[in-house]
Amino acid sequence: MSADAPAHALPSRRLTPGRACLLLGLLTAGLAVAHLASSTGLVAGLSSLVTILDDSADALVLHFAWWPRLAMALMAGGGLALAGVLMQQVLRNPLAAPTTLGVASGANLALMAASLLAPGLLALGREWVALAGGGLAMGLVFALAWRRGLSPVVVVLGGLVVNLYFGALAMVLLLFHQEALKGLLIWGAGSLAQNGWSDAAFLAPRLALGVLGAFWLLRPLAVLELDEAGARSLGVSLKWLRLAGLGLAVFLTGCVVSTVGIVGFIGLAAPNIVRLAGARRLGTRLLWSTLLGALLLATTDQLLQRYAGTLPTLIPTGATTAALGAPLLLWLIPRLRLNGSAPPRHAATSRVRHPAPRRLIVGLSLALVAMAVVAALAGQGADGWQWASPLDAGLLEWRWPRLLAASGCGLMLAVAGTLIQRLTANPMASPEILGISGGSAIALMGAIFLLPSPGNLTLVGAGVLGALVSLAVLVAVNRRSGFQPERLLLTGVAITALFEAIKAVVLAGGDPRGQQVIAWLSGSTYYVDATSAVTVAGAAALLALAAAPLARWLDILPLGGATAAALGIDLRRARLSLLLLVALLTAAATLVVGPLSFVGLLAPHMARLMGFTRARAHLAGAALTGALLMVLADWLGRQLLFPQEIPAGLVASLIGGAYFMWGMRRL
Amino acid sequence: MSPPRRLRRRARRWLAGPLVMLLTLFIALPALADSPHLESPRLATLDWTLAETLAALEAPPAAMAQLDAYHAWVGEPALPDAVIDLGLRSQPNLELLADLDPERILISPMFANLAPRLEAIAPVDTLALYTPGRDTWTEMRELTRRVADIVERPEAGERLIEDTESRLMRLEQRLGDDAPPLLVVQFMDARHVRVFGDNGLYQAVLDRLGLKNAWTGVTNAWGFSLVGIEALAGLDARLVVVEPYPAGVRETLADSGLWRRLVERSRGEPLILPPVWSFGALPSAQRFAEQLVTALENDDVR
Repeated sequence: MSADAPAHALPSRRLTPGRACLLLGLLTAGLAVAHLASSTGLVAGLSSLVTILDDSADALVLHFAWWPRLAMALMAGGGLALAGVLMQQVLRNPLAAPTTLGVASGANLALMAASLLAPGLLALGREWVALAGGGLAMGLVFALAWRRGLSPVVVVLGGLVVNLYFGALAMVLLLFHQEALKGLLIWGAGSLAQNGWSDAAFLAPRLALGVLGAFWLLRPLAVLELDEAGARSLGVSLKWLRLAGLGLAVFLTGCVVSTVGIVGFIGLAAPNIVRLAGARRLGTRLLWSTLLGALLLATTDQLLQRYAGTLPTLIPTGATTAALGAPLLLWLIPRLRLNGSAPPRHAATSRVRHPAPRRLIVGLSLALVAMAVVAALAGQGADGWQWASPLDAGLLEWRWPRLLAASGCGLMLAVAGTLIQRLTANPMASPEILGISGGSAIALMGAIFLLPSPGNLTLVGAGVLGALVSLAVLVAVNRRSGFQPERLLLTGVAITALFEAIKAVVLAGGDPRGQQVIAWLSGSTYYVDATSAVTVAGAAALLALAAAPLARWLDILPLGGATAAALGIDLRRARLSLLLLVALLTAAATLVVGPLSFVGLLAPHMARLMGFTRARAHLAGAALTGALLMVLADWLGRQLLFPQEIPAGLVASLIGGAYFMWGMRRL
Repeated sequence: MSPPRRLRRRARRWLAGPLVMLLTLFIALPALADSPHLESPRLATLDWTLAETLAALEAPPAAMAQLDAYHAWVGEPALPDAVIDLGLRSQPNLELLADLDPERILISPMFANLAPRLEAIAPVDTLALYTPGRDTWTEMRELTRRVADIVERPEAGERLIEDTESRLMRLEQRLGDDAPPLLVVQFMDARHVRVFGDNGLYQAVLDRLGLKNAWTGVTNAWGFSLVGIEALAGLDARLVVVEPYPAGVRETLADSGLWRRLVERSRGEPLILPPVWSFGALPSAQRFAEQLVTALENDDVR
């Protein structure tokens, strides 16, 4: 039982970390015993942990696959959960997770690049390539946040951007080399399958090292519970402490990820469940989280082996934990005490107000028009570069719908992003994170895979349905809390996790239709025709106009709920209407360019860096920036690798990400 | 009419015939040099399986998607250098395609969502292969005939079918009666394989050759199942590994306790076959059959 469970809690009904672990432990043990008994018999099965008794196939599989797999599940789950606690402690953000710092995406990209460019490196050891990639990504994040003394918000932001950036690069590689990278897709989905004890032997000593390190950091890290000034007055070097804590977490994550692949959600869920179940102090949280993480992963894996073995495709465990974790997180959100612990600090970003925002807006508009002209007329054909005549209807017929749709989507995503970032006062917020894009993407994948040969109209219908369902979930889960920003974001994280999981399973299966899914997911204006372009542009104009009168709310809401209420704003109504608008904007844009265009995150930030501070100007600036970014991205994407097309969403996140990292120096 | 003018007119008439003939020749010559089959229409295709069939019918497409990847993953039959790359299979470059102005576009149902856009450029034919619940070989034959009809070379289609079937028949006769059941796999990484079974190219070939597939488990719509290698334990079979191995996998396997035991317990060393497009049509079937039987025979000799 947890040592610090509150005394006043109802003893019989209350979930404590100990009870949760006991329950899962019993379940895992039961499943394991059942498996052993049905395979070779319990005694023979247990002894096959150490040796192979007879030469039967069952004994062989038990010794070389089943037992190592169980060991790996326990170790990987524990390691990730431990890393999760460390990160959440250092960053003081319940949303921080081992994947937040870009470790997983860095490792992923490194492995992909190595398999395409230097396969020899992989023969030396996949884990070293993965660790190098993960370390590089983390180094980049730290470099971005160094000047601000590794302050939590800046680290998380940097991690997010590096994640997006590396993820986009990986997607480009995947798009053009799907056949060569199909094995890595399995790794990306986190399969725990084993073929011997070598991986377990690799992981065990490193985990032990990590646990020792965590034990050593326990006391100084606990000081971080106090606020910053308090910690500093106790003589703790915050920068080095944070660096050590995060470094340790990254090392743990890197080791786990490089052996079993990307296992989602454990690092986020286990620490949160334990905290929710009443563990307060860092020491107890570390202990129980590690245990719970190990058991969560092991139980999921046992269940999967038992029930998914009959399917013609592999259901990787890492993706499954993420998928199962999503509903769990949704259930948890209303029960999560978010204000109990020290709240995440808001980014004290230097907001230098531009002296004449109106002039800046005119400049941006001119730039947009100029870019549109270039995108419409310049391009490559069968005979190389051409500057088309404005009267060449045959050619422009292909180009103007994409141009219009790109600017419309950029505008909508940017407005949605501005709304959600101001609404939640959270710089990490973006329409993608809210899960609406994810919801419509799930439905679209379902349509591609379950319907025989879906037409575009069917796909659009499915996408709308998915967006609406995730909106409904969003509202249902958050209505009681009055749409509190943190809970809202968590709901989005849960839906996005579900989407990521389903995507990983779908891609890992190696179905040739995966190519289509990748193409759509990477956010291309390719599928836009004249009708949909006009529709998108119309919707963009309409919804953007609807956002304008809400500027007063947007100026006040970031000041906090109490201030806003004191100023006479009906918080519930304001949040719900803003949310609905965000959902509509996101759904409309997602249906055209897919869920991965990070314009919704980047455009508002870029607008802010340019000096738009008041809500109305911020909205206008972000909208123009978003449109400009998307048009530029669409055009570049069509020209860079002609005749192959890089989707606009990917190019946008590559351009936007680079700019963002450059701009972060000024944060 | 004055005599000179009459003369000029007569001369013109006299000259016109040869001139027209010469002109026709000039226009026709390059075309003749470019493609040996004047009668086949200019085609574009997005699908490698269709491209391979077209190439085998000696009517290669004028344009195809992901040309480089075709060379890497399908390889044979080779496509001529003149074939133009259209970009990604799932997102062929429409501007370029419209510019090339093909007479027909061939796709498989996988790209059905593109059909309306492609229709704006040229008539689209959707040709299916590996439809669940249908006999793969029958479907391959039908596909070949339909493609042959489209390129107006029905006799070439019949020839390809007959060639392939008689070749497979001869290969079958070369096999002894004691061929063990086979397990055809392709490594995805050191821990996972695609194992091929029902509704796939390899199964269809095994059936024609009278060989037994040891994998009787379920497979997906493309005729394979993605499994961890422990799923192969306990199957009494000869392992057939279709290359390529992903980078680093061969080395890792050498250290893998499970794989080593699996090989020890299987019927002899695994047969390693050079890459064959797993979702191909008759040309791929022929190559796979040839390589498989050759590998089995070489083994007997030893």
